[in-house]
Amino acid sequence: MADRFSWTILLVLCGGFSAWAQSNTPIISGGAAFLSTTEGGATSMQPVIAPVIAIPLGNRWLIESRDDLRGFVSPANGASGPYQAQFFGTVEYLQVDYTATSQLTITAGRFLTPFGIFNERLSAVWINKFPQNAPLIAGIGTAGGYSDGFMARGALISRNKYQVNYTAYFSTLSSVKKFESERSTGGRVGIFFPHTRLQVGTSFQRSLQDLRQNSVGLDFTWQPYRVPLQLLGEWAHAPGGQGYWLQAAYRLSRFRGADSLLGRLEPVFRMQQFHRSELIPGDSLPFNGTQRADFGVNYYLRHEVRLNTSYAREFSAQGDKNSWNFGITYRFLWPL
Amino acid sequence: MKRILMIKIVLGCLFLACLYAATISDAQQAQTKAKQRAEETASRSSATGEERFQANCGRCHNAPEDLSPREARAVLRQMRVRAMLSAEDEQSILKYLAP
Repeated sequence: MADRFSWTILLVLCGGFSAWAQSNTPIISGGAAFLSTTEGGATSMQPVIAPVIAIPLGNRWLIESRDDLRGFVSPANGASGPYQAQFFGTVEYLQVDYTATSQLTITAGRFLTPFGIFNERLSAVWINKFPQNAPLIAGIGTAGGYSDGFMARGALISRNKYQVNYTAYFSTLSSVKKFESERSTGGRVGIFFPHTRLQVGTSFQRSLQDLRQNSVGLDFTWQPYRVPLQLLGEWAHAPGGQGYWLQAAYRLSRFRGADSLLGRLEPVFRMQQFHRSELIPGDSLPFNGTQRADFGVNYYLRHEVRLNTSYAREFSAQGDKNSWNFGITYRFLWPL
Repeated sequence: MKRILMIKIVLGCLFLACLYAATISDAQQAQTKAKQRAEETASRSSATGEERFQANCGRCHNAPEDLSPREARAVLRQMRVRAMLSAEDEQSILKYLAP
């Protein structure tokens, strides 16, 4: 009798788990890339794998993480000599999300610092249209890019004509290996107009250690309905300096559709300027005032493969330089 | 007398046949209308899903290829947090990605 009862319980549990697993499929996604850069006659290469794991637990809980496993292969003596390779692994985020209400999600753990649009949204290697380099001002307000602590976020107001979204966080100081972070607080508020596909946002960050400095930023994203054009831009200010970047990408999908030979091409242009006002050691910003223009072409192949080539010219007091870049990225997604 | 009875029976049969045909036609029409309405609603909701995808997700990336409903659900759970989607947007985009 007891055996039958235990078998029945086991069957019910198996059935329940199977039903639960059907609605809570963990996935592994992310990107793999091979990037190369030639500057001043020296070519360096970066193989990258950035896996993203998402494990939904019921309707409200989600565990997610993204790692960046990257190698740097470059000449041992800078411009010449045999090539040497170094490999690094970074935990970019490892967080638990709890969807408390339709307007509030609470996050705990390690997360990407929500300042501006680049760090949280565009930094992934398979999203960034210039995957070899981040904008010059990417170091402003992001506290190294990663934070350990708590975050509240969500769509505060959601109407047909506009949506207001917000993020507020607190990060603690951590020197644990692979989980380093600074003590800081801040957030971002954005307004999105779905009919014009325009989003504008403003960010704030206060560092709660060492210099206790404030950083502010403004950003916008615009994707007009009538043309396959994407315009992005960001301005940020910190005591160490201020700067902006503007990026335009135009997919030639009007030429016989997005899947045609020509329609898979996407010319991209980015210009950026940074003005140094005070030299603050270790602030991840250029040493001097710098201007840079990037011209690139992306080509979207089938099965989530993208080729990208770009040329950049950089002007700074340390010397002008050219940069030639080539890369191939692959975006994957599999159920676990 | 017999002839009158026969005519009455034939007329009665005709009337019943007409009534039956009218009923069937009404039911068919109602069914067709309901089907059309359902199709319109489905296409409208799918169009809304596509629009919402382009507005919210298309700012950063293209639509992933060949997602099963289970995968799409997991992706949407994650993107709801990351892209701060509303619950309504999540459902519309889910229908668009895995109809």
